Amino acid sequence: MSVDEDDSEMDFSEDDCGYEDYYNTAEDCDVEQIDLYKTDPEYFAFECLNVEQVERLLNESVEMLSNNLQITPSLAKMLLHNHEWGCLTITAEYRRDAGRLLVTSCVKPPVPPDTSNSSSSVGMRISCPVCVSSILWDKFSSLCCGHSFCNMCWAMHFEVQITAGISTGISCMAKGCEVLAPEDFVLTLLTKPQLRDKYQQFAFKDYVKSHPQLRFCPGPNCQVVLRSKEPKAKRAICSYCKTMFCFRCGGDYHAPTDCNTIRKWLTKCADDSETANYISAHTKDCPRCHICIEKNGGCNHMQCYNCKHDFCWMCLGDWKCHGSEYYECSRYKENPNIANESAHAQAREALKKYLHYYERWENHCKSLRLEEQTLTKIKSRINIKVMNSSGTWIDWQYLMDAAALLAKCRYTLQYTYPYAYYMEPGPRKELFEYQQAQLEAEIENLSWKIERAESTDRGELENQIDIAEKRRTTLLKDFLEV
Amino acid sequence: MANNIAAQRIQREFKEVIKSDEVAKCAIRVELVNDNYTELKGEIAGPPDTPYEGGNFVLEIKVPETYPFNPPKVRFITKIWHPNISSVTGAICLDILRDQWAAAMTLRTVLLSLQALMAAAEPDDPQDAVVAKQYKDDQEMFRLTAKHWTAKYAGGPGGNPDFEMKIRRLTDMGVEEDQARVALSSYNWDLERATEQLFS
Repeated sequence: MSVDEDDSEMDFSEDDCGYEDYYNTAEDCDVEQIDLYKTDPEYFAFECLNVEQVERLLNESVEMLSNNLQITPSLAKMLLHNHEWGCLTITAEYRRDAGRLLVTSCVKPPVPPDTSNSSSSVGMRISCPVCVSSILWDKFSSLCCGHSFCNMCWAMHFEVQITAGISTGISCMAKGCEVLAPEDFVLTLLTKPQLRDKYQQFAFKDYVKSHPQLRFCPGPNCQVVLRSKEPKAKRAICSYCKTMFCFRCGGDYHAPTDCNTIRKWLTKCADDSETANYISAHTKDCPRCHICIEKNGGCNHMQCYNCKHDFCWMCLGDWKCHGSEYYECSRYKENPNIANESAHAQAREALKKYLHYYERWENHCKSLRLEEQTLTKIKSRINIKVMNSSGTWIDWQYLMDAAALLAKCRYTLQYTYPYAYYMEPGPRKELFEYQQAQLEAEIENLSWKIERAESTDRGELENQIDIAEKRRTTLLKDFLEV
Repeated sequence: MANNIAAQRIQREFKEVIKSDEVAKCAIRVELVNDNYTELKGEIAGPPDTPYEGGNFVLEIKVPETYPFNPPKVRFITKIWHPNISSVTGAICLDILRDQWAAAMTLRTVLLSLQALMAAAEPDDPQDAVVAKQYKDDQEMFRLTAKHWTAKYAGGPGGNPDFEMKIRRLTDMGVEEDQARVALSSYNWDLERATEQLFS
């Protein structure tokens, strides 16, 4: 397909509805939830919250715990942060052995503080162990470990820690003491408004990150927090910036591949891109028949296995001009190590396998981008039709649906390749690759029909949409494990 | 402000170390390098019953502006063969000089901790992977090598004629002495492999 459209047509994008809109419709479905879990393997219940809503949610937990156990909200918050916000487990633990819970949560020291020499009288001056200045005793503070330091030093300590990005993890200044400073202690002693803000921001981030039901939207500059009561490796879409991601790992959505496999795959792709580059640099096309040839021996006299053309690897010139005497090209010499030949062959085989999957993965990724342009083209085509009074926008809406579904299917197809790459050979892999091939065939079919939408009957196209989506759902039902 | 605390603290600590028992026993020492208390020179005596015994190890101590809320930056000036200290740069891997630092710690604690580290290495948390591997695989080879380094760089007792001879073989070939020592130490004093590495 060609993409050369003139500007006037390109300008047509008054509504920004992209592919993502397709996914959002899933939420508006008025079908029963239970049914959705059965019929749609990707169904995932979640909500998008703003900062205030998250704060309210966190405060509810804090309030509940502090009422249950009759402890200060600040302490309740520390306990919740340390125990994945599990109100019930904390309450149970606290009732069983409050002392142990507080020690393991770094709220209290393992050994109770020595209070024998803490008799202070009004007007008495003590030396602060940190700044070694002699200061009035009432300008000192300590955590429940009893290690006393002057308020100025505490404030300075907080400043240094916050500047280093630490908030909920700020501990006592004494040697080897791991008791953590609660929020209210920090905020009482920290006076600079800018630092107080920073502290609260960092602490908020820590709280959200420690909460199993909450995830920050990974979209750039997006403040939205997504919440799901069953935090699984499922598809989440931010309602604000439309970023689509895996709720569990926060990366791009990757069904049917699981979080660990996709991480392995992406790391491999990043690592091996150099290898792939090397290979592409070490293969050349036959100058006569243009078949791709890889040089695997030391000799630069190449004979194409396809057309039997003799040529020089270095200059790609005809070998006939390379006489037996001196010539420039012979300087390039390799040492073909016969002993390593089998290992070399093995490595090549492994690389071949990887490249097979990688090429397809890359190719579908590229197709996705190209089909995004198709969507723009469809929009302009519809626009022309509507202008020419052949149907209304609503009449042609099915074309948009088809394009959105195509994107959705191709996205899943792209992510089937890492899955297949790491699969053990066997009947299950055969089934997977069979289904993958079926999906691929239907997708290409759909793509073909969309590009030629005018000559395709609407019923036929809608039928193709249905088949492609069914293939996708079947594959996910059989292989998506979350 | 913070700067003020740093200087105030270092002055006080400096006096503390000078008066301490360890100084009396010649185990540790600190010296000022400049007037504004931002850099000091430390010295540790090699702990007894270790390959470092009899050696004197010089440290570079840099005091950051945010001291004591951040740890001092310390490294060995004297070359030393130890799993947790880089044989090339003298950089130290010790938790209290990183995230386990506490504002209430002092130069004295740092120096004493370093002395303890010299007596009890932690090869599972290495700074120098080559040394750590030797420490784990061949304790005796490690001990001899560390002792040789102590004699050579820290004024420790005893020589090792065998090691000296091997170093001379390499220096005769035009290799710098320190470089020859590192290569030989890294290859368990296998002259052939060290030569191979140096000339490859």
